Amino acid sequence: MLKKTIITASMLAVSVTAAQADTYRIGITQNNVGVDSYQTTYESAFEDAAEEAGNVDIVVLDAGGDVARQIGQMQDLIQQQVDAIIIWPTNGQAVIPAIRQAHQAGIPVVVTNSKIAEAGLDFIAAFSGPDNVQQGISSAEMMCDALDGEGQIVQISGQPGYTTAIERATGFEERLAEACPGVELLETQPGNWNRERAQRVMEDFLTKYDRIDGVYAGDDNMGVGALNAAKGADRADEIIFIGATNFAVGYDAIERGEYYGSIYQSPVDDAEAALQTALDVLAGEDVPKMNFFETPKITAENLGEFDRPVF
Amino acid sequence: MASAEQPKPGLPTGKLNKAGLMSFLSAQGILVFFLLGMIVFSFFSEQFLSQSNIMTVVRQASIIGIIAVGVTVVIIGGNLDLSVGSMLSFSTVLVVDLHDKIGPTNAILLMFALTLMIGAVNGFLIGFLRLNSLIVTLAMLSAIQGLVLIYSGGQNVDIANQEGTWFAFFGRGYLGGIAVPILIFGLLAILVQIVMSRTGYGRRIFAVGGNPMAAVYSGIRKNWCVFSTYLISAFCVACAALVLGSRVMGSQNNVGQGYELLVLAGIILGGTSLLGGAGSIWKTVIGVLILGFIQNGLLLMGYPYYTQWIVTWVIIILAVWLDLANKRKRLLTTHS
Repeated sequence: MLKKTIITASMLAVSVTAAQADTYRIGITQNNVGVDSYQTTYESAFEDAAEEAGNVDIVVLDAGGDVARQIGQMQDLIQQQVDAIIIWPTNGQAVIPAIRQAHQAGIPVVVTNSKIAEAGLDFIAAFSGPDNVQQGISSAEMMCDALDGEGQIVQISGQPGYTTAIERATGFEERLAEACPGVELLETQPGNWNRERAQRVMEDFLTKYDRIDGVYAGDDNMGVGALNAAKGADRADEIIFIGATNFAVGYDAIERGEYYGSIYQSPVDDAEAALQTALDVLAGEDVPKMNFFETPKITAENLGEFDRPVF
Repeated sequence: MASAEQPKPGLPTGKLNKAGLMSFLSAQGILVFFLLGMIVFSFFSEQFLSQSNIMTVVRQASIIGIIAVGVTVVIIGGNLDLSVGSMLSFSTVLVVDLHDKIGPTNAILLMFALTLMIGAVNGFLIGFLRLNSLIVTLAMLSAIQGLVLIYSGGQNVDIANQEGTWFAFFGRGYLGGIAVPILIFGLLAILVQIVMSRTGYGRRIFAVGGNPMAAVYSGIRKNWCVFSTYLISAFCVACAALVLGSRVMGSQNNVGQGYELLVLAGIILGGTSLLGGAGSIWKTVIGVLILGFIQNGLLLMGYPYYTQWIVTWVIIILAVWLDLANKRKRLLTTHS
């Protein structure tokens, strides 16, 4: 928090002295930096990207996962009359009124990483982030390939109510039913993006089901928790593990052959895409509403094409 | 508090038979709940009472249980410790991160030392400066969260070589067919129970929590007693961090957050009074196991895990109510 306050303060100071015509001031309110490595890496990547761009002053804020605080931060940024606001929504529904306020004040809003609800789309300039439905679809296809279209699987999803978790689960479930009717999804339980929680859930699954052929986890952090549990029960060999948001631990597990595959999603790409989208909007370019950066499948076959994630 | 529990001669008891039943329920009520719950769950899930499931549940509950053993001592001494959840994050991140940097032995030693230091700070502020324990440990809860974020920079920490380290023993190992976390939990519980019930030190903690003034006049060094309970609590957290870090072989900054409430729920369910001066480690062990079995049972029945919070609430209210009803020999209040 302290660091952020200092950054914010220094950014304000900078913006007073360097209020040149060609310099944009962009405010960003993030979801919950520090809760996981992805968000932490995103923040530093965003700062680097802004420095590289040269003509941008940034005001970096973090909502700490708190919707009310994020709405307050939106209002602060509107008061400061920044040129554009980037928001990583803590909740896809509750932040819409604040986004509308910015829209009415003539400040373009770019939503990053996690979508907001339909009702808010009219008030935003653009969305930039991963296509989480597509990620779920890709994971379902990987599962289908790995199991040859036959088997029983369980799912460990992300935080209940969080858009990313819902979209990945929806994409996965729909595509699986369509492409792979022979694969049965036995049960889904939330793992809250938390490895220890996922490990406990998987231990209970292993007790409950004598036969589990595959696990789909909403991210690799949880996927590795499930792998830990299966190893503890000596059943890791018979189970296919597929995750999303490839973490370093997931990357290593794929390398060791314990983990079938994941979705490669770089927080650096995510942050750079968000800033670029905001800059394009400010430059008056014709920006599409939905801007997805690429998040390819990663398995043992193409592992070499990707750098080991830094988180 | 012990004096308050003695029946007052002039109190209208009226319903003797019911009182007898209630006193049985309040003394053993939690065990009755426990057994009833087990039976109900076993109807709905055939795996519930299988040996492997029981082992899984006890192993999962052992992290909360280990911490609860320490916090029970703090509570018997008349104080609270809400900082244990954050402390667990801190200690787990520390031991996992240092594992690859300075080797497992040094990492464990340093982790224990630093965790005990946090406990000592709590103990000093509450024991010697006589600050309110709720405030001190609540402030400590957020202070340590900040510390963890500064230390880790918000990044997850992992142990690189998970197969080749003996550190795996604490969370994943087995000794004589029993999982090591269960052994650590069991040993700690037995040890602390003996200390609390059979030694002068234990009796002094009860005395300090029950009637601090009387304890001081009897020549008990209250400050040191309170101070020491926080060292015990910190020691238990360090043991739990060992198990958790080894079990997961990695750590997030928010691991352990909210555990302080699970720990308290287990202790209250067991029947240890939050007012201090009464309680036992056995009760806490049972309380923690009930929490574990509720969570597991609901999951086996296919409910999402958060339904346990509601069920736990109902059971806690019932447990507290029965306890109170027994003390006043009536189910409802005697006057409005």
